[in-house]
Amino acid sequence: MHLPHSTLKQEFVKKWIMGLQRCKFSNKNMSIFERKKAIKLSADTAMASARKGLTCWSRALISTPDRSAVPTTTRRASLACKKIVKRSRRIRRTAKCGAARKRQITRSVAQCLVRKRTQILKSLIPGGEFMNEVCLIEETLDYITSLRVQVDVMRSLASASVRASEPHN
Amino acid sequence: MSGRRSRSKQSSVSSITDDQITDLVSKLQHLIPELRRRRFDKVSTSKVLQETCNYIRSLHREVEDLSDRLSQLLASTDSDSDQAAIIRSLLMQ
Repeated sequence: MHLPHSTLKQEFVKKWIMGLQRCKFSNKNMSIFERKKAIKLSADTAMASARKGLTCWSRALISTPDRSAVPTTTRRASLACKKIVKRSRRIRRTAKCGAARKRQITRSVAQCLVRKRTQILKSLIPGGEFMNEVCLIEETLDYITSLRVQVDVMRSLASASVRASEPHN
Repeated sequence: MSGRRSRSKQSSVSSITDDQITDLVSKLQHLIPELRRRRFDKVSTSKVLQETCNYIRSLHREVEDLSDRLSQLLASTDSDSDQAAIIRSLLMQ
């Protein structure tokens, strides 16, 4: 299921060019903002369709391409976690606890952090809210590889555009 | 609620799932540039998750910035032939 970087890149470029052409880019009446949205949408769709329906995140992204702001649960989760860590530090400082109790507290703080951070990760991966832990991490690995390809190609296009717009000698 | 779920999972499912998760988390560690230098150290799961989230957010930001730049660059190329040349150069990589 894991494709090499170059194969994924070719798939992405192919799909992205198709998408950009469909956007009718030569329409001069597009505002910069509309153009930017079209570019991002076509890039995200190309990134997802390059996976050919093999991953959950790509199917989720194609069905809901407009993922706006990060949900507030993220901030709430990190604030709640900070409270729990502070509370456990206060418990540790009241040094009546023995070593075993301290280990127990450390373990539960670690488990709490893992749970909260897993929630945050779920909010970042398209379709993540529906995944179990194993699926989430597998999807994350694939999603990160695809995001890197997307950034790579977009960067190349940006520098090619800059070169093309430079005056010819 | 997720706490209850994970506790019951640990009692009913064997340690194969734990190993699976450990293996996946180490794969994640190798993928993230921040943590790749610490390849031979043991990094905690919560730290790996934290750095993963930070990395994904930074990639999302980069895509946003590149979309901005591209929208300005492509707006300034007047002719279709220029744009075709750009896309052709992309294909030749």
